[in-house]
Amino acid sequence: MRRLPSSRTAFARGSRSALPRLGLPRPPDARPLDAPPLPLGLLERLIGLALARGADFADVYVERSVQTAVLLDEDKIRSAQAGRISGVGVRAICGAKVGYAWSDDLDDAALERAASTAAAIASSGAQVSSIRVSRVPVPEHYRVVPSLMDVDLPLKVDLLRRGNAAARAADPRVLQVSGAYLDVTRRIAVANSEGCYAEDTQDLCRLHFHVVARDRSGERRTGFYGGGGRVGMGHFETFRPEDVAREAVRQAVAMLGAVEAPAGPQTVVLAPGWAGILLHEAIGHGLEADFIRKGTSLYAGKLGERVASEHVTVIDDATMAGARGSVNVDDEGLPGQRKILIEKGILRSYLYDRLNARLLGERSSGSGRRQSFKHAPLPRMTNTFLAPGEEHPDDILRSVKRGLYCRNFGGGQVDISNGNFVFEVAEAYLIEKGRLTRPVRNATLIGVGPEVLRNVSLVGCDPAPDPGIGTCGKDGQSVPVGVGLPTVRIDQVTVGGTRVAAGRMV
Amino acid sequence: VTGRGSDLLRACRWAVERARRLGAAQADAFAERTRQASVTVRNREVEQISQATGKGLGLRVFLGGRLGFAYTSDLGKEGLCDVAARAMALARAAARDSHHGLPKEAELARGARDLLGMYDPAIEALDTQWMLDASLEMERAARAEDPRVAGFESVGAGDLVSEVALVTSTGFSGTYRGTSVYMYAVPVARGDDGQLQTGYWVDARRRLADLEPPEVIGRTAARRAARMLGARKVKTKRVPVVFEPLVAASFVAGLAAAVDGDMVYKKSSFLGDRLGDRVAPDFVTVVDDGLRPGGLSTAPFDGEGVATRRTAIVEKGRLTSFLYDTYTARKAKACSTGSARRGYAGLPEIRTSNLYLEAGSTPAASLVRGLREGFYVTSMLGRGADPVTGDYSRGANGLWIRAGEFAEPVQEVTVSGNMLEMLRVVDAVGDDLDFRGSTGAPTIRFAELMVAGA
Repeated sequence: MRRLPSSRTAFARGSRSALPRLGLPRPPDARPLDAPPLPLGLLERLIGLALARGADFADVYVERSVQTAVLLDEDKIRSAQAGRISGVGVRAICGAKVGYAWSDDLDDAALERAASTAAAIASSGAQVSSIRVSRVPVPEHYRVVPSLMDVDLPLKVDLLRRGNAAARAADPRVLQVSGAYLDVTRRIAVANSEGCYAEDTQDLCRLHFHVVARDRSGERRTGFYGGGGRVGMGHFETFRPEDVAREAVRQAVAMLGAVEAPAGPQTVVLAPGWAGILLHEAIGHGLEADFIRKGTSLYAGKLGERVASEHVTVIDDATMAGARGSVNVDDEGLPGQRKILIEKGILRSYLYDRLNARLLGERSSGSGRRQSFKHAPLPRMTNTFLAPGEEHPDDILRSVKRGLYCRNFGGGQVDISNGNFVFEVAEAYLIEKGRLTRPVRNATLIGVGPEVLRNVSLVGCDPAPDPGIGTCGKDGQSVPVGVGLPTVRIDQVTVGGTRVAAGRMV
Repeated sequence: VTGRGSDLLRACRWAVERARRLGAAQADAFAERTRQASVTVRNREVEQISQATGKGLGLRVFLGGRLGFAYTSDLGKEGLCDVAARAMALARAAARDSHHGLPKEAELARGARDLLGMYDPAIEALDTQWMLDASLEMERAARAEDPRVAGFESVGAGDLVSEVALVTSTGFSGTYRGTSVYMYAVPVARGDDGQLQTGYWVDARRRLADLEPPEVIGRTAARRAARMLGARKVKTKRVPVVFEPLVAASFVAGLAAAVDGDMVYKKSSFLGDRLGDRVAPDFVTVVDDGLRPGGLSTAPFDGEGVATRRTAIVEKGRLTSFLYDTYTARKAKACSTGSARRGYAGLPEIRTSNLYLEAGSTPAASLVRGLREGFYVTSMLGRGADPVTGDYSRGANGLWIRAGEFAEPVQEVTVSGNMLEMLRVVDAVGDDLDFRGSTGAPTIRFAELMVAGA
């Protein structure tokens, strides 16, 4: 079932503290050539079957995933679970038409049935010369050794125990601590009718804690923090579970006694890091080529035009080492790229997958991603961030007489057509005379993408990636993404709150 | 899919037996098989056809108060051996918790019949040509309804046929099958000034005959898009706010997160210490009914084999029940409400089934007619409902109400409040209960909420 096409970035929140250190990309080296997840001969046969009714392009996507999830609750490991899922998706494209079929039966007969089902999107019947695929080189922006699937469970469990103990000890007002460690080792292979065959192993992990604090009056506030990426267990030597859990406690406790959010237009300062979901919602989705081709995005037909203030340069970068949104190859077998989407306010590029690129006469930007073999690829973001400016973050804060400082965020959502987006603020403070004063609760930022980007008035020199926690949903498909932002001042943002703002906020 | 439940049952029995042999004190296995197809169209032609069959099995094992869980999409001997070995290994690494375990026999559903209205052979027999024709008709009807419909984000239809089996080491063995079919249209209207607005309309049913005709869905979606053209912010103010059924249903779903027995036990719900209290006017009743005929989430038993039932959460304004699975019920010294939702790739979790706010007796139209000024909300953005604190703040689109009539369209505003207070100020419930999924509601009106805009 589909819902309103929209994006939701779940499992929010980041802060400038305890950010993972991202190293430089390793040079591509001779990775051991594992046996392909399915024999190349079989893939070639399936492509041939998918083309048999006259399709002009076909690809086969093979996925073998091993997942682990450990949950901690009430001082106990509540559950540990592990799963293995394998499957194959076959796609046939005929002009703008797509036939897609998947199977989690990997026997030849089931796969051939899937290929023939996908082929039926075309109806001419054609002579297909036999397809030969050969391996294409794959860059290496991450390689996790040992693979997360080979790490013993007690090591993963231990991360949760350590974080839990630290959170419980951090403050007497801590009422509940829950935590989760999740990982997946996903081995993919893509072969297509152009003769390309690419493989990748995509490890991904995440550790997070959720804290409820309660004060004497009975008021409850929550805090949430976590992170990870395409990284191994060594990541948690610097991104320590104790620090992660204490950050969740800090947020919950900081919001005790928060005042109601003032409602109406205000000057807003965003803290660096996770606030990048503002870009993700306000502009990123609107640049995805499917919305552009269909003319349903308000950014369609605006290449070369000014869509943001000159302080705004937005980059989508699939090549950041170990980052949550990075891909060595996308789910169509093309290398991940670094793309400048907006340069000093001018719209430079959209995000293309193969299908939409071809129909628009462009080349794919390596942005074709899918949740699993159960889905056809869509153009998606990877790691999307705002390039740094020159202002010192303290000067940005000092420039605001009255406003709202947004330090941590929940999720966001956008309506592609009218550009309306919302952005839930989990930790916010009033700014009075350039200084942070009281904590504020229940604030939501709402705006129209281009207007908000035009109102970006100051950009800090303190870029930060989020800690590796974002998941983006579109058309029922979730994919891991990264975001990032330096400190930013935006004027005249509508804040949804419960209290009528006292006086005008400038 | 039909009638092959026996092989799912066999796989479940085999996995449970294997776990017992490996030393599990108790075990249960949940397996499912699905067949699904979907079609989208674009510019009077097919855009995408997807078809698939999937299957899998999840195995829970209990070993001296320790829980282990593993799942697989491979139902062959090898896959099942592997899943049992992995579940046992995970149980050995888990902490002891005396509340773990299978439900008591008395709680289990008797028999395993298909409930009325869960399965429709007409859906089993649907082909993609039917979905294609229905989608083209929605697209045609939407364009015919309003010339300002400039395109579509998506238009499509699909179906799902599923079969489920559950076997426990305590002797429960059950299977059922279900069907569903859905259609949706998301047209984009373009105004003279170039503004784009989407409309959204959908229907999803267990039985083909219950589905709205594609023409109605197309036309409704087009009207919803076109009426938003010219939408602007309004000034920040407190006004009466009306939620249309689709939006009211999302409010009810937000409330439901706070009656999750696990959240309540962990003192993480704003409704946690209010059981038995009056939380809303007496014309507010909220029900979770796992047996609702034709309901999309209707099933004879939950993910642990416990009989499903009708549970009143709020009865005539009083908070009457929380929702529990077996584990949380034991901890909280309550009884399972048959609310353990389960797919093969996860442990059972507390979820609502068919959740709804009961219809009132006031004609829905008079909820608007009675207002001098107000905001009629037709769609929302963001989650914005915090079950811990009750804080509620979401982006909203809709129509302004002046002198009892719909006036100009409104966007880029938020509606905020606290759900406890919002429940208290519900001042009317319409007679138009509508389901567009598993959660339903009629039109509801709040005496006054904060609308933040310019």
